[in-house]
Amino acid sequence: MKIINKLLRKNLSAAQTAGFILSNFIGLSIIVAGLQFYLDLRSIWDSEDSFVRRDFIVVNKKIDASGLTGASELTFTREEISDLESQPWVRSCGNFTGVQYQVSASVVGNGGRGMSTDMFFESIPDEYIDVADGGWQYVPGKNEVPVIISKDYLTLYNMGFAGSAGLPQMSEQMMSAIPMRLRLRSEKGDKEMTLNGRIAGYSNRLNTILVPQTFMDYTNGLLGSGEKENPRRLIVDVSSPGDVAIGKYLDSRGWELAGDKSGSQASYLLNVGGGVIVGIGMVITLLSFFILMLSISLLMQKNREKLHALIMLGFPLRDVGAPYEGLIVLSTLAALIPAIVIMLLLRGFYMGRLAGIAGMASGGIWLSLTAGIVLAAIMTVVNIISVRKKVKESF
Amino acid sequence: MKIEDIRIEDALPVVFEHDRVRASEVWRSRLKIRRGERIVISAESGTGKSSLCAYLYGNRKDYLGKILFNGDDIRNFSIGEWQELRRRHLSYLPQELSLFPELTAMQNIELKNSLTGHVGRDRIEEWLQMLGIEARADFPVGKMSVGQQQRVGIIRALCQPFDFILLDEPVSHLDENNNRIAARLIAEEAERQGAGIIATSVGNHLLLEDAVTICL
Repeated sequence: MKIINKLLRKNLSAAQTAGFILSNFIGLSIIVAGLQFYLDLRSIWDSEDSFVRRDFIVVNKKIDASGLTGASELTFTREEISDLESQPWVRSCGNFTGVQYQVSASVVGNGGRGMSTDMFFESIPDEYIDVADGGWQYVPGKNEVPVIISKDYLTLYNMGFAGSAGLPQMSEQMMSAIPMRLRLRSEKGDKEMTLNGRIAGYSNRLNTILVPQTFMDYTNGLLGSGEKENPRRLIVDVSSPGDVAIGKYLDSRGWELAGDKSGSQASYLLNVGGGVIVGIGMVITLLSFFILMLSISLLMQKNREKLHALIMLGFPLRDVGAPYEGLIVLSTLAALIPAIVIMLLLRGFYMGRLAGIAGMASGGIWLSLTAGIVLAAIMTVVNIISVRKKVKESF
Repeated sequence: MKIEDIRIEDALPVVFEHDRVRASEVWRSRLKIRRGERIVISAESGTGKSSLCAYLYGNRKDYLGKILFNGDDIRNFSIGEWQELRRRHLSYLPQELSLFPELTAMQNIELKNSLTGHVGRDRIEEWLQMLGIEARADFPVGKMSVGQQQRVGIIRALCQPFDFILLDEPVSHLDENNNRIAARLIAEEAERQGAGIIATSVGNHLLLEDAVTICL
């Protein structure tokens, strides 16, 4: 077997092989490290608000300086909604539904010291909410309802209220563990229901208190008129959150975007930047793949007579191709393994620097590792197929 | 399964199709060679001698008519079947020898023997000695004379089990003495395996005893 290797790898150009390994290494490094960097940064946006997916924006009408804008002028009519839905960047659009009754919430602390406040709910269609394992379901008649509250409320309480009122500051986990009693009363005061609220999560992007749509429909029917009212806010699923057309359209209608705009623009830039980097890596990798394919095919061309002579001796075609297949696997590994090492080193470097950013979570390295390995495997398989084809031609 | 007989029926190299018909015991004829028979095919140059070997070895298919092993048309054999035949049933020494010039005589022989595991190293050394090239065993084949190379090729061809051995002008560069020794080696090995011998020649016949000479 060793003699075959010696025979068939003769004429192998060290420069070509090194050229392939180097360019494949550079290409794979850019892909793997770029993808990893993208995923790690992505985790900042994703972890920021896991309940509302990032491609959603919230739109409302501007309240003008006179303060005389009527309540009805702040709602969206059916025509306005259908015009919005016809925009090319809109995938779908959902209404915010408000309560038609009064809500008060009370919490009872450990010492029996309680606190009560008037509040409100809103709801949006369930498809815009992303809470795992049925945590966002309400069955009519049940004594507990999940709510998502704005993180700003917790901040207001901790930074503003708790200190001055001599109350303890609370983390998200502590807050979630405190039982919340909700009292719902019709406007006339003739109907009432009480139930427990369970905090299912906190949102950075929705400045409201959300309950499931089923709960809203059920309680509005029970304690309010149950009639559908025009929404004051819309949640819009957009194809690309950073699209400039969105801002132009909203300005022309005198509407505004609620929540954090810069986040979605940065996210858009990250997507574009990530795409460009991975694209460059792909091009380099593809070129390196052709370098290997060409140099192997050149080598086989030079050794054509030997290939033929070995086949004439009765060697199985598999054995005759094996030295080249081994060469392909070895040189691809020689590019892939250092590329992965470079990715890990780079990641160690930037993760140290980014550790301070809020919401920075480890994105996990499996996706980019898998991407690198799969890509290298595809190149190897295609090259091996081409070697087998050439060996067959030598028969 | 062993090759019991080779039948050449109405065969003709495609390039001869429009040539004037020539008397031949092989082309446009019916020939059956049984395992154990010894045939020397005598030919003038350019009459398709090497083509015949290439057809029989599955190397080329540019012929009219049929060639059958045990009644099976060899055109239909797959690559895998040919490789199996070449390792176990059919040995071939091409005229151009197809030795690897950068390998030594011994390496060339062992390359084939490692594939078949047919004979021991002492047997190879004995054959080298009988053919008078034992001193050249560790020489690169490229630096040997054609006659020496032919002897290496003959030994290599014997390093496998076979039902037929095809030799294309195996002794064209050997003197009569070496020709006789080579013929004896080949005959002994063929007899041991019950195999047939098909040797071609344009003048310097392999000096086989009891061989039938036919004209191409």
